[in-house]
Parts: sequence; C-alpha cells; structure tokens
Amino acid sequence: MQVNKSDIKRQAILETAYRLFRVQGFDKTSMDEITAQVGGSKSTVYSHFPSKEGLFVECMMAALENYMSGTLKYLDASRADPRAALLNFGSSVLKFICSPEQLEVRRLIIAEAARSGTGKLFFGKLSALRVKLSAFLAECMASGKLRHDDPDLAAEQLGAMLEAEMLEPLLLQVREGSPDEQEIALAAQRAVATFLRAYAPNSPQERQSRSGRAAKSSVRSAE
Amino acid sequence: MKTKTEVKRQAILNAAAEVFREMGFERASMSDIRARTGGSKATLYNYFPSKEKLFFEVMHKAKAGELEEIVGGLNPEAEDFKQQLLDFGKNLLVVLYSPEAMAIRHLTIAESRHSDIGKLSFEQAAAPIESRVADFLRRGMKRRAIRTADPKIAAMHLLSLLESELMQRFLLGMLDPVKPETITSAVRRAVEVFISGYARR
Repeated sequence: MQVNKSDIKRQAILETAYRLFRVQGFDKTSMDEITAQVGGSKSTVYSHFPSKEGLFVECMMAALENYMSGTLKYLDASRADPRAALLNFGSSVLKFICSPEQLEVRRLIIAEAARSGTGKLFFGKLSALRVKLSAFLAECMASGKLRHDDPDLAAEQLGAMLEAEMLEPLLLQVREGSPDEQEIALAAQRAVATFLRAYAPNSPQERQSRSGRAAKSSVRSAE
Repeated sequence: MKTKTEVKRQAILNAAAEVFREMGFERASMSDIRARTGGSKATLYNYFPSKEKLFFEVMHKAKAGELEEIVGGLNPEAEDFKQQLLDFGKNLLVVLYSPEAMAIRHLTIAESRHSDIGKLSFEQAAAPIESRVADFLRRGMKRRAIRTADPKIAAMHLLSLLESELMQRFLLGMLDPVKPETITSAVRRAVEVFISGYARR
C-alpha cells in the first residue's frame, strides 16, 4: 500500500512538472511551484527527484519510455524478416516523434540541453534506446541478412534517414499539422529501402566499408 | 529617431557581430551592443526587438553566404560523382559544425517555439540547400551515376546521413568543437552508404 501511494505521488509530481515545464520553460519553473501545485512538502518532492534537472529529464522522457516498450516489440517480432520489422519499427517511431506534443517536448529538450546541462542526461536515456536498434541490426548482420559493419553506425544512419523527410520542417514550425499515416508509411518505406540496399549482404561495397570501420571517428570512440 | 536607416542598422549589426564573437551569445547583452553603437537602448530595440532576433540576423547572414558558396560548388558536369559528394559533405559540415553555426541552429530551434525564426531559417537556408542538392542528384541520375529515384527525397536522405553521427550530440549540447578529421571520416561513411543505397543494380 505504501509503495503504491508513493508511486501515485511520483506520478502526480511528474505530470505537474511536465505541464509546468511545457508552459513556462525550464528556468521559470521552480521546485517550489511544482510542490505547491502537487501539494505536500518540498522534502517529499525532493525525495522522489533530488534535482530540478533530474525531474525535467524524467518527465520529458516518461512518454518516450512508455511508447518505446511498444515499439521495440517490432524488433523482437521478426528477425527472420528485417524489412518488415524495420518498416513497422520505423513507422511507429515516426508517428511518435511527429506528434505535436513530442515535437514540443523535443524543442524544449534542445532549448534547455545546452544551458542547464541536462543534455548529458537525455543523451544517456536516448542512447539506451538506440542500443536496442543496434542490437537488432547486429543480429541481422550475424545471421547474414545484412552485411557486416558497425551496428551502432548503422543504427544512427537508419535513425537519421527515418527522420530525414519530415523532422526539420516540423521542428521549426514550418509546416503545421502532423503527417498522416500514409505519409509516415511512405517515408519509412523509402528510408528502410535505401538502408537495406546500402546494407545488403555481399554488396561490392562490403570490403571497403569493413576497412572503413577501423578508422572510426574520434567523436564515436570518445564516448 | 523614429526613422530607421540602413546605415544605422548595419552599424548595429557590425557592433553586435563583434560583441557576440567576443562574449558569446549567453554573456552578451543588448547593453553591451548599445555601448558600442552609441544611441539609446530604445533606438536599438526599435531596430531589433530582442537579442535573439539580432543574433539570428547577424549570424544567419554570415553563414548563409558561406552555405551558398558551398552548394554552388557542386558541379553536375564533374567526372567523379562520389568525389563531388565527399567535397560537398565536408565543406557543408565544416560550416554547419562551426561553433557559430551550432549556436545559431540551437537558438533557431529553441526560438521557433515562440517566433517565426524557425520558419525564416528553414526558408532561407535549409530549403534552398535541399533543392540545389536535389538538382545535382537529378543530373547524377540522368548521367546514371546513381539509380533513378525522387531527387528531392534522395537529397534529404543524403543530408541526413551526412549529419547522422553528429546531429544528436550537437542538439543535446554535447558536441565539443569538431575536428576536421572527424568530419572527413564521418562524411566518407555517410557518402558510402548513400552511394550504395542509391547504386544502380
């Protein structure tokens, strides 16, 4: 019962903080104000979230974490057919990141990342998710469905191509309204098709790319 | 005092460019800029309603010229298609991942929450680059250097691949100044994947 109560409190703090951060931004939202709106004492809030930065990251990432468990199932489903798995995964990812709410969250995260030092915390969370895609690609490489290369690099490239058609105009508020299912499915299809061509097994590029792997950039190895 | 003049505007832009360069965006204030141009704070605000707008104007103008030049360097008649992409990619990333350009892009995304800066930036920088790259790729398709596809989509794939290793770290404020050799190898990996993704079968 006590655990449950504590969970409810934690959830209430996350929801209140999420709302306030989105309306007012990071700087103008204080732990005091969050406490006042949730009710209870400041020490209770701090017992759940020791810092405003930590709370910011947790509440911004809560939706992502909920959604990821559903999306990652696509990668578990069919290792036998990487195309189908990646198409489902890609459409699901795009649908999520192109929603107005997630775009707003992303802008907020980017705006605060450089200033409040939260970037590193977000990066850790996002990397954990990227690792799953990378593991899926590594298995496809091991079973000969994709050519051998650095799976982390491949995951980054696939992620970038999935977002290529629509993220920037949406993020910069150039276009209004979210893309519909049809548009999302087409973008995912084109990205996955290009990716699979590039990573097809035994392509003439294979040897070249393998040798390229040795010279990994300092950005990647500096992590 | 109500009439704005181009001379005054330019003087403010020059002073602001100096101040931003010396102090960085965060530390620089409108007062610092006013101190160099003389005149009242009201005059300054009459020309530029915020530090953000002024910064955007200063930096964006400077970078837009450089980007224009880089895209102009893409030569569809050149023999070596891949080399064109490698050179273009490298030149592009050197500019995009300079500290000033990163600061502008960061600010642009942050500010697009409550102004049309994002839209301006997209229309003046991102869209023209994309369409020039698409033109180049269209010619490449005609010359059978790559397979036939929608050149606009191909351009977006190429541009996103070029940034794929750096973008996330940059947006999260975690990218230290990027070394030229880092750019060269990231561009090589991106162009290789692009070329094999768009290879003729």
